[in-house]
Amino acid sequence: MADTSRTVLMMGNPNVGKSALFNRLTGGDAVVSNYPGTTVDYTKGVLIENGQEYEVIDAPGTYSLEARDAAEDVAVRLISENPGATVLVVLDATRVERGLYLALEVIERGCPVIIALNMIDAARERQITVDTRVLQRILGVPVVPTSAVSGEGARDLAGMLRKAQKVDIETVRARADGQFDTPEQSGGCTGCGGC
Amino acid sequence: MKRLSELEYGESGVVREIRASQHELNCLGIRMKKQVKMITRQPIKGPVVVVVDDMEVAMGLDTAEGVVIETGEHEGS
Amino acid sequence: MALPVQERWDLVDIIARKTVAAGAYRQNLGDVLGDLTVRPLTGIPVAFAVLYAFWSIFSSFAGALVTDGFMVKVFDSHWLPWLQGAWSDPASIHYFLFVGDPLAENCFEAFGMLTSGLFVAIGVVLPAIIIFYLMMTVLEDSGYLPRLAVLMDTVFHRIGLHGYAIVPVILGLGCNTPAVTATRVLETRKQRFIMMTLLAIFIPCGAQLGVMLEVIPDAVGWVMLFLLIGFGIFGFILDRIIPGSNPEILIDVPPYHWPLWENVTKKLMNRTKSFLKDAVPFVLFGVLVVNVLYLAGIIGALADLFEPLFVTWFGVPKETVGPLVAAFLRKDLAVAQLSAIAMTPYQMITAVVLVSIYFPCVATFVVMLREGWKELAAAVAVLVATVFIYGGLIHAVGILMGVA
Repeated sequence: MADTSRTVLMMGNPNVGKSALFNRLTGGDAVVSNYPGTTVDYTKGVLIENGQEYEVIDAPGTYSLEARDAAEDVAVRLISENPGATVLVVLDATRVERGLYLALEVIERGCPVIIALNMIDAARERQITVDTRVLQRILGVPVVPTSAVSGEGARDLAGMLRKAQKVDIETVRARADGQFDTPEQSGGCTGCGGC
Repeated sequence: MKRLSELEYGESGVVREIRASQHELNCLGIRMKKQVKMITRQPIKGPVVVVVDDMEVAMGLDTAEGVVIETGEHEGS
Repeated sequence: MALPVQERWDLVDIIARKTVAAGAYRQNLGDVLGDLTVRPLTGIPVAFAVLYAFWSIFSSFAGALVTDGFMVKVFDSHWLPWLQGAWSDPASIHYFLFVGDPLAENCFEAFGMLTSGLFVAIGVVLPAIIIFYLMMTVLEDSGYLPRLAVLMDTVFHRIGLHGYAIVPVILGLGCNTPAVTATRVLETRKQRFIMMTLLAIFIPCGAQLGVMLEVIPDAVGWVMLFLLIGFGIFGFILDRIIPGSNPEILIDVPPYHWPLWENVTKKLMNRTKSFLKDAVPFVLFGVLVVNVLYLAGIIGALADLFEPLFVTWFGVPKETVGPLVAAFLRKDLAVAQLSAIAMTPYQMITAVVLVSIYFPCVATFVVMLREGWKELAAAVAVLVATVFIYGGLIHAVGILMGVA
């Protein structure tokens, strides 16, 4: 199997702006629309960041790793066919919960993960705030707020790709259950590389 | 207790039981203890549209019949 | 290591509670419009208005404004006479292939590669698909499609599909090839098969619509009506005979957005580019192939062979065999070719319907093959039966109405 360590697989729920973000990252031409299920096949593109060349794959949206239809099936197959690939999980900041389910599933598969908190501008407009730092600490993976529409955060996201982390779900659970009621912990590095 | 399909326009309640398509509904935000509000029911056994977490979800009538809703004052989280 | 589903949701809840805070939500104008366009009382009239507006803008802009107002003049008054004069030796084979009929007075009749071919591709189809895609993009980007899906769900449920099948249908009215792939939004094999088959048979593409508006403006409505009725009848039958399930609609209905100008222009550019790159050579090549087949006497032989079927069963002249051969390459070209054959209006309607429901164009064929050869084989079997039955039925209707 080909070396997939420099492959970035973009996963996320339908209609969270994966294709728009993909176009931002790679200058690609993936079709972007405002309805779930626009992308039913994958698109590949190239991103060069700090002299490092990444192959970026825009997968069809999926709600979980249990495929519900043929488009989701494409996404689930991509993650099996690209072991070792960094998975860029794209969350819709206005509906973090649903996206988190998929993010946890991907984390449980042992993939290196980085999270883009997309549509951050829409979330602000809707007065929804997401504590990126706490989310990053609990999950132990980098979380970057982005807006594919305005381009906000896209450069930061590209720069953080190499800091994607594999994490053990049990430690995520421990951190989620645990000490985070007192948010400020000095030196509590979770190794997410986000600092 | 009512079925989700029986909510009136604009009526809301809390999800207490999901009898079918649980995983699919969960993925779209329809989960236990969530508050849902009816937006519309289409005529001739058409689908219903509900709001959960300020987001609209459309589902078929049979699916909506499998969701049990508690209406009234004592609403959950 | 994987968590049980419920524990994963519990963890999601814990994390969400610690990281997400929602302020008081204020409804905005988009949300109000969103509700109005999905409630039946207001939504159904709006849906009719939207589809009607779509159609009238499409037909008046593409057909009347650009093609008749500009392209026809350029091609018929300047390009055609100039080419007929400049190309040497009207009796030669190359003249026949590239320029066509030396006495033709318009670019539909000439039927040479550089006359009809270029005129159909650039003069008629290009403006039609540009305006079509512009409006389709607005539908796609605004967030209206999922709402239309909700309103259409009841209807689609009767034919083994659910409302979200509106997505491949609308895409298919632009071009059938992306629409075939878009059937992946449907959940079961049964649904995808029904959708793919109905797409291939009953949904005319934007290019074909453009030519229809140009050559049979008065009959387009009838053709569309016959296609719509066929879509319903054969969907209903397929739902009964195809095994498998038809799960209900279950979709997110996203908030409305203003389409972003940048995205609209980008999509329009890309779709137009791929039309120029992929479709235009096919149209030109199609004219060439048809002309060669004519010269070789193959189309004449096929016409004689199928004469009984065409004349007695479908009630159309045997010359329509030629366009049907071309229809396999490009349907727009086939409709253009039909316009040059002398027929009664009802025969023309029947012939155009036949061109639509007869074999999908080769590009659609290839995409269907990619989705599964078994599905393709079954779809072709359904298609052959449909063409035969429905073609005869339309003829019978014509006889009963006294117009055939």
